[in-house]
Amino acid sequence: MDKLLDIINEILETKGEEKIASLTDEMSLRDHIGLDSLDLAELTAVIEAEFGIDVFESGIVNTIGEVVTKLELTQ
Amino acid sequence: MLTGASKGLGIEIAKSIVENGWNVIAINRSESEELKGLQNKYKEQVRIIQFNLENTSLIKETIFKKELGFKFPIHGLINNAAFAYDDIVTNINLEHLQKMYHVNVFSPFVLTKYVIRNMLMHKIKGSIIHLSSVSVHTGYKGLSMYASTKGALEAFSKNTGREWGQRGIRSNCLVAGFMETGMSSTLDESQKNRIYNRTSMKEPTSKKSVADTIKFLLSDGACSITGQNIFVDSGTI
Ligand SMILES: NC(=O)c1ccc[n+]([C@@H]2O[C@H](COP(=O)([O-])OP(=O)(O)OC[C@H]3O[C@@H](n4cnc5c(N)ncnc54)[C@H](OP(=O)(O)O)[C@@H]3O)[C@@H](O)[C@H]2O)c1
Repeated sequence: MDKLLDIINEILETKGEEKIASLTDEMSLRDHIGLDSLDLAELTAVIEAEFGIDVFESGIVNTIGEVVTKLELTQ
Repeated sequence: MLTGASKGLGIEIAKSIVENGWNVIAINRSESEELKGLQNKYKEQVRIIQFNLENTSLIKETIFKKELGFKFPIHGLINNAAFAYDDIVTNINLEHLQKMYHVNVFSPFVLTKYVIRNMLMHKIKGSIIHLSSVSVHTGYKGLSMYASTKGALEAFSKNTGREWGQRGIRSNCLVAGFMETGMSSTLDESQKNRIYNRTSMKEPTSKKSVADTIKFLLSDGACSITGQNIFVDSGTI
């Protein structure tokens, strides 16, 4: 979870937006965190390099909880 | 990353890139003497990956995972490999057509997918270049199927440029005229002359001119050029 928070904060930082303090499962990547489709592409690429899993490959992922599930499921 | 670097225009592009001090990852089926020679001369700068671009579904696993790894930064992609299945429309052979679409269209799309992801991860304002052909814009008998693969790349490139412009990632097509390479070697002299007569300069397009324009499109000098078709074609009319 910490690693994921770092990754998301890095993306927010390059966008010039405020970092977030912590992640919860219910947080929506788009609505709460404010990532658009291009940001999500970047997130996918970084997560894949880090965890070896393409989280968005098999369908749309909306929340942090869904990302975490995908990463844990295959770990 | 350059596909089809083993011969023809590709080897010319590879030379132009390494002579400029950049590195090249050459993706082709065979390792030609010329490409090996270039690797011997510029050891650190040339990496060859043997891969058959008919196998579109293996691109991610083989090229990006096994060979390079996702952490390897890529600054440019040149989709140059292609082959021309030429025949008149009434003779279309679906199998040949599908094979050509894999090499000329689907693999360039998938390579673009992973190269853009790579650029995003490394925060690189990269440049993507697809090789197109004047046959998209000026019809030739027997080239409808081949030209359609290049038309697909032109449309893909324009929209890719639009989509990724805000991240500084550029996409352009280099629309080449007829060059003297293996691809055009099946044409006889009179066919070639007829093609060259349809150009302002009445001569084949220089591979060096195409390669140098690609080098420019890769460079920072081209940082405001995206979504364009750049014609290097001896002034085809
Ligand atoms: N020649 C012309 O008049 C002309 C005009 C306009 C545009 N173009 C375009 O310019 C580009 C270069 O063409 P060229 O004339 O240099 O052609 P070429 O001499 O036939 O070279 C084609 C290159 O593509 C590679 N290639 C072909 N099939 C492949 C496959 N299945 N997997 C991996 N690599 C493959 C070949 O390498 P291996 O055989 O080692 O795999 C070779 O390096 C092409 O996109 C072509 O459409 C050419």
